[in-house]
Amino acid sequence: MSDKHNTPAEKTINRREFLRLTAVGVAVAAGTRAVTSTKASSDAPKGKHQWAMVIDQSKCTGCNYCTLACQAHNDVNPDIQWNIVVADGMVGDMQIFVPRPCMHCEKAPCVEVCPVKASYYRDDGIVMMDYDRCIGCRYCQVACPYEARSFNWEKFTGENPAVPEWGTPEVERRPRGVPEKCSFCYQTIDRGLALGLTPGIDPDATPACVNICPTGARMFGDLNDPESLVSRVLHENPSYRLRENLGTGPRVYYLPAFAEKKEA
Amino acid sequence: MLKKILTPWTAWLGFLGIILLGGLIAGILVFWKGLGITNLTDLVPWGLWITIDLSSIALGAGAFSLCAGVYLFGLKRYQPIARTATFVGLIGYTMATLALILDIGKPERFWHSLVYWNTHSLLWEVTMCVVLYLTVLVFEAMPIIANLEWLRKRLPKIAAMMERVHHYAPFLAIVGLGLSSLHQSSLGATYGVIKARPFWFKPEMSVLFMLSAIVGGISLTLFASMLASRLTSKAKTNDALIERVAHFVGYLLIGYFYFRAWDALSTTYTYDPGRSEGLNLITKGPLAFNFWIVEMLFGMIVPMIILLYKPARTNRFWRMVALLLVAAGVVAFRWDTNITGLLVVMPYVPGQAIAYTSYKPSLIEIMAGAAIIAYGLTAFSLGVKYLRVVDHSLIEEEHAKVKVEAVEAVGI
Repeated sequence: MSDKHNTPAEKTINRREFLRLTAVGVAVAAGTRAVTSTKASSDAPKGKHQWAMVIDQSKCTGCNYCTLACQAHNDVNPDIQWNIVVADGMVGDMQIFVPRPCMHCEKAPCVEVCPVKASYYRDDGIVMMDYDRCIGCRYCQVACPYEARSFNWEKFTGENPAVPEWGTPEVERRPRGVPEKCSFCYQTIDRGLALGLTPGIDPDATPACVNICPTGARMFGDLNDPESLVSRVLHENPSYRLRENLGTGPRVYYLPAFAEKKEA
Repeated sequence: MLKKILTPWTAWLGFLGIILLGGLIAGILVFWKGLGITNLTDLVPWGLWITIDLSSIALGAGAFSLCAGVYLFGLKRYQPIARTATFVGLIGYTMATLALILDIGKPERFWHSLVYWNTHSLLWEVTMCVVLYLTVLVFEAMPIIANLEWLRKRLPKIAAMMERVHHYAPFLAIVGLGLSSLHQSSLGATYGVIKARPFWFKPEMSVLFMLSAIVGGISLTLFASMLASRLTSKAKTNDALIERVAHFVGYLLIGYFYFRAWDALSTTYTYDPGRSEGLNLITKGPLAFNFWIVEMLFGMIVPMIILLYKPARTNRFWRMVALLLVAAGVVAFRWDTNITGLLVVMPYVPGQAIAYTSYKPSLIEIMAGAAIIAYGLTAFSLGVKYLRVVDHSLIEEEHAKVKVEAVEAVGI
């Protein structure tokens, strides 16, 4: 082989050939990919159900029950909150709150950027984390516009202070070195559906934060079902989503608080 | 007896050894206790180590740029410098790998990035390119490693085989150019696609990363060669060659400065939530010194003048200063870019004000980071001493030999 490459004439031809072959190879690979890659990670999910949450800010009192129930049911480290309640401005003389779970975006930046597909879409729109696959690079955390992801800087050991008062753990604790976030209590939804229940109506099929809310500020249901509570509420009321201008398409909708509603 | 042992060389190795030992301890602590012992937070999840990772890749870019120049654009006489650059590149990319292994939360799953593909992720692309390019660099560096005296004596056949890889240099240069162009710019795009952080979200990011990498990578290689030739007789440089490449770096700097300055300037015209706050951080805030002095003044303008003004350029000391400043400026650019985007905390609650957070690397992070750099210095020092990495006379002879053989083979 080496003799061959010592001749300049052959070398140039080979180089040119190599270049051409490379170009052809790349073109073929790109073409094949364009044709075959109909299902990419960024394809918006189109399952039978499309879960969504509606939060009525005129009803939220900032009691933090949702946070606590979430901590218990998902066995979350007390240093981490999947479901945080943030104080916002005032309407009249009433304090307004923004409870913030994961937005389960239709075009989720975390899913797009994850190098190993540890973040992915379920068919029902839930943005899931595969904690066994995640390498802990934290690109998703950097990309999330809602600070919805918390990294396990340390291993969560010991007792969960929210258990048993606020519920019992339904999922495994996440290991050290991966980020974690709200999952819309997928375990409850899946079990409930298997039992023939309807998420959003039957508490046994509904996320913990929705069940616990004492004022009924949180609603959950299927956007594909026009008769579901969330579909009707969104149809009849003005609503907004967080950082909507980014085009992420959150599945958590907020009903803004108006002065007259809050007083009532 | 003591005098015999304590030479500048052993003192240097001892100094590096101490830093490496500190890093080893820090590394073991990180693997044992987790990233909780760093000062990284959920708001600033990328810090010092990411900067070291980005910088070593950027400063390793001399390898692909110079190899492309030598083997693809026919600038054969610069081959000795490309040879040094290849070795510097190999060191840079292994440094980056070390930094990444430390930085990821699940180091034992590093192989997941090769097995589970998300082709939409820029980090996936960067990982694939870096792994493939590291392989290319290993092949490119084989003729250099074949210089090891021990290898030549003990395994002459293998050494000869490794040396023959030299003949495939043009092919490796093509692959290297492609892979490097991809991941050097994609590292910029890694930041550039993050819409949630307006300071990063712009298409120029990839162009700036690519340009700064070429400028910084060539500069570091030239600086390292010159420094080595000053310190030891093992390194032999052809100063005219280095000076000519340094002159070229001066012109490259004009291009880099043009893009960088316009990029910064264009963000000043209107208030843009997040972006303007980021601009404040680098122009008036805690990063102002880095931006104005390290990046702009000493990272671009001063070296540009030195490298383009002949009397200054031909002075070896000032040329070395200029080249080092360029490399430092590129590191500062990586640090500023990464940290500014993270320090500006964009509110997700409507109507809330944009906040700032802060980050200072912990002692553990500094110790481990210093050890990664010390590893690079050790590898280069050993390379100069035992592999004749900086030896501009060596390759020229080989080249002459190849040329003669070629003429005979053609049979003129």
